[in-house]
Amino acid sequence: MRRTATLLGGIAVLALLLTPTTGTASSRRGAALAAQQQPADSPALEARGRELYQNACASCHGPDPAGASYYATVPSLNDVGGAAAVDWALRTGRMPWKDNKGPAIERGEPRFSEEDIRALTGYIGKAVGDAQIPDVDPARGDLQRGRELYGQACAACHGMNGAGAALGGENIAVSLQDVHPQDVAEAIKIGPGQMPVGGGLTDYEFGTAASQQEVDDIAAYVESLRSQPYNEGGAPIGGKGPVPEGFVAWVIGLGLLVVAARWIAGRG
Amino acid sequence: MTDSDRQGSERVDLDRQTEQGPTLTGGQRRAERRTAIALGVAILAGIGLFIVYFAGGQTQIEGILFFIAFGGFGIALGVWANHLLDAREVVEERHELTSGAAGRQALGDALTEEVGPVLGRRSVLIKLLAGAGGALGLALLLPVLSLGPAPGNSLKVTPWARGKRVVDETGELVTVDTVPEDGFLTVFPEGNVGAADAQTLLIHVRPGSLKLPPERMAGVPEGTFVAYSKICTHAGCPVGLYRAESQTLICPCHQSQFDVSDGAIPFFGPAARPLPQLPLGVDQEGVLIAQGDFSAPVGPAFWDMNRGR
Amino acid sequence: MSMVMERSLKYLDERLGTSSLARKTLRKVFPDHWSFLLGEIALFCLVVLIFTGTFLTFFYTPSVREVVYEGPYAPLKGAEVSAAYNSVLRLSFEVRAGLLMRQIHHWAALVFSAAIVIHLCRIFFTGAFRRPREVNWLVGVGLLFLTLGEGFTGYSLPDDLLSGIGLRIFYSVTLAIPVVGTWVTYLLFGGEFPAPDIISRLFVFHIMLIPALLLALVGVHLAILVLQKHTQFPGHGKTERNVVGKRLWPEQTFKSVSLLLFTTAVLALLGGIAQINPIWQYGPFVPYSVTSPAQPDWYIGFLDGALRLGPPLDLNLFGFTISEVFWPAILFPGIAFGILTLWPWIERRFTRDRAEHHLLDSPRDTPVRTGIGTAGLMVFFIMFLEGGNDIFGVLLNVPVETVTRILQWSLVIGPVVTFLVTYWVCRSLSRSRLHPAHISAGLRLSRTPDGGYETVSLEPATDDSEREPTPAS
Repeated sequence: MRRTATLLGGIAVLALLLTPTTGTASSRRGAALAAQQQPADSPALEARGRELYQNACASCHGPDPAGASYYATVPSLNDVGGAAAVDWALRTGRMPWKDNKGPAIERGEPRFSEEDIRALTGYIGKAVGDAQIPDVDPARGDLQRGRELYGQACAACHGMNGAGAALGGENIAVSLQDVHPQDVAEAIKIGPGQMPVGGGLTDYEFGTAASQQEVDDIAAYVESLRSQPYNEGGAPIGGKGPVPEGFVAWVIGLGLLVVAARWIAGRG
Repeated sequence: MTDSDRQGSERVDLDRQTEQGPTLTGGQRRAERRTAIALGVAILAGIGLFIVYFAGGQTQIEGILFFIAFGGFGIALGVWANHLLDAREVVEERHELTSGAAGRQALGDALTEEVGPVLGRRSVLIKLLAGAGGALGLALLLPVLSLGPAPGNSLKVTPWARGKRVVDETGELVTVDTVPEDGFLTVFPEGNVGAADAQTLLIHVRPGSLKLPPERMAGVPEGTFVAYSKICTHAGCPVGLYRAESQTLICPCHQSQFDVSDGAIPFFGPAARPLPQLPLGVDQEGVLIAQGDFSAPVGPAFWDMNRGR
Repeated sequence: MSMVMERSLKYLDERLGTSSLARKTLRKVFPDHWSFLLGEIALFCLVVLIFTGTFLTFFYTPSVREVVYEGPYAPLKGAEVSAAYNSVLRLSFEVRAGLLMRQIHHWAALVFSAAIVIHLCRIFFTGAFRRPREVNWLVGVGLLFLTLGEGFTGYSLPDDLLSGIGLRIFYSVTLAIPVVGTWVTYLLFGGEFPAPDIISRLFVFHIMLIPALLLALVGVHLAILVLQKHTQFPGHGKTERNVVGKRLWPEQTFKSVSLLLFTTAVLALLGGIAQINPIWQYGPFVPYSVTSPAQPDWYIGFLDGALRLGPPLDLNLFGFTISEVFWPAILFPGIAFGILTLWPWIERRFTRDRAEHHLLDSPRDTPVRTGIGTAGLMVFFIMFLEGGNDIFGVLLNVPVETVTRILQWSLVIGPVVTFLVTYWVCRSLSRSRLHPAHISAGLRLSRTPDGGYETVSLEPATDDSEREPTPAS
């Protein structure tokens, strides 16, 4: 009895300590991005892009990126936000679509190499007439201003601590606790899914200095959620607030104490 | 301790000698050992706490050390209670709680004995006593009314009024160019930035997507800039989640969902009333202005909500 | 007895007459069962709450005056926050052991309310509320309500975004009270939302008014328990006229102190390694901002879930409005807690049992009460799940609407099914030979005349009669 109790207690404590925060690891993806500022303009790369598109994308998005797609539920690549959208979808592993059941498109590891992603974004960007990939640098951003902007524009859906939330129906605002700054900048530009273009920021206009500063600021705050989350209190238990905390209080807190009470009462 | 015990020396526990004899059983010796170890561990953890605290402190280590210290002490006492005490099971008789009719009669007599003739009759004095008690009791409650202002009309009006210019959270004027298509913004009347009941959502919807009746469309400049109260009509949370694709709002507190294209009518969840609309116009400089207060009282319902304004 | 002890006892006895009272009290008998310790777990959580809470009070500023944050949490540097929020941040980041004390305090609040609920369940399912303990039942239910209020006022004090949203909802609920709602709300909060006075008023409730009532009622609760003596499960040698167990001193004291130490240990562990309510991440309360997901602490979670379940039905009564919030947040808790409070009398109406009871029921022997109890728990559990419907939706990869629909249907069918299943389980357990109060006292092996063996189980004596052998199963 006591051994079981100790074992259970030990497992519970370990589980608590090892609870990961939500979000998928993306630092690897971002590392190679330094080169990915503007897609290179070489015919070989464009040809490679066309070939990849025909093999991997055309079956849903249609033979011409700028034209209609084959299905009503699949958007035409003409109005998703250009090269930035392609870059975002491919690097976060959302595309090619994995046919997952349930709300929201899953993130994951990218299934194309860096070269291939550059090829595809170059080809599609040129085809739809929007080849700009956003530039972002959290180091240029103001952390405090970023926090304020994030609170105004992003926190309602993504949570002030980036934990993410359900948006009703097939929609989820993803966790931002482990995303690359490039994801942030691109998502603001394209407004993927239910997210508004401009990310809810006032006066957002891609390319202007003011908007660039705002994106850098927000990226700085989102980056801090990953690099310096201030979990001084211990295991964050998912960062989702009182619901998981309640489970821990009952299962671990009261659970351990009931075990203790049974041990103390002995053979009473 | 154990060595001297096995050697049968004279160092025996005086208390135990009177009860059972000079030695502990094997089980008790084991229990004693476990208790000692537990207490030893607790002492070490306690010392550890001193070290950690004066080294600057660290929340996780402090928590674990307290756990070990208190836990060790608890184990020690638990083992002691279960193995090292001479406690036997005891039977205690319950006694009657009641003192019986006689006892209650005695109490009744004690209460009424010297009270005198007045209480027995229906006299004016008794009625006045009751009256004074009531009046005084109510008067003592009067300071409670000082705790807050009368609600009056305040729940039905906001700072918004005809001609008030629309500004964002920082006080910047909002024009028809401020919010991109599919975008949204939290706005306030100029001069009342941050006023909780005036918080408003300005949404730039896609052209032709609004299904409002003509008198409501008159408050939507260019047919695309619609403004609704940000206060959920269910329980008052700010409805901050805008789904641009479907042009719907969802409130994070209880998951009420409102259709922006259709007058912010709730189509799912516990909210019963649509978000009130703020009629907008545009002034000469292209700045958005209000054309009046909201179409209905903002926020959650209350008793006299629909009685005059 | 040592010299020091003898002199101390003499000193107190001559002035306060302590010896005879102490001797009588120390010899009091309390039965031994682990489930009788659940109330003590709650009591010891309260002790931890008071100690840690006092420490927190030295650092907290109950004011909404704006100050500039200059502490080590970088994203807020230079931001304007309320003095209350700032003081809690300072305690968390700049006071040694401050975060530990704060987290222990919050975890203790969660475990305290959980322990009260499980203790209440033990009392309910064993029928310990029956005569003469109805008064103590009322005291206990009162303690439950006070605890809910104490917790809510407590976690609203830091004036952070998450608890501020909760306060807004509470404001809307009091608004929804028919006839007097607007007045009650304005007097309680001091005006229109966000009424700045509310933080300092919550402070008064949380550190003075409710703790005073809590301690007073706990005192009454324990005094009645000592006066009436503890109940016990039926068994060998136990009757309605006695208490069988161990004395207060030394065994029960050792055990209780051990449990106190374990409670402190577990709460300290949680306080150290499990982060709770990281208000710096939520940010200060701003009345037009919101964060997701948004839930209250677990013991208020059932109310949040009830609000989410709906229905979206407001009523117009001759021009007056009954808000849709009225049904889940005022009517439902009123009825549910009303039934809970009046349960001893409700049950007595049907069982017509006016006898005094000091022996407890085994839950399986009272299938109707047990069934109603589990059905009631199921209602609260469903509501708690709905309170987290967006979190479960994401976890299970299911739309929020689906979770809500399923739980709405569960609310209708679930309690009925729970009652029926519980009833059936109780009856079949009662009929089986595995009854805890009638477990055989042992087996006797005897030789039969033709050389075989026969086991005979000895029936335990539930009173002091002779043990009788019965044929083995």
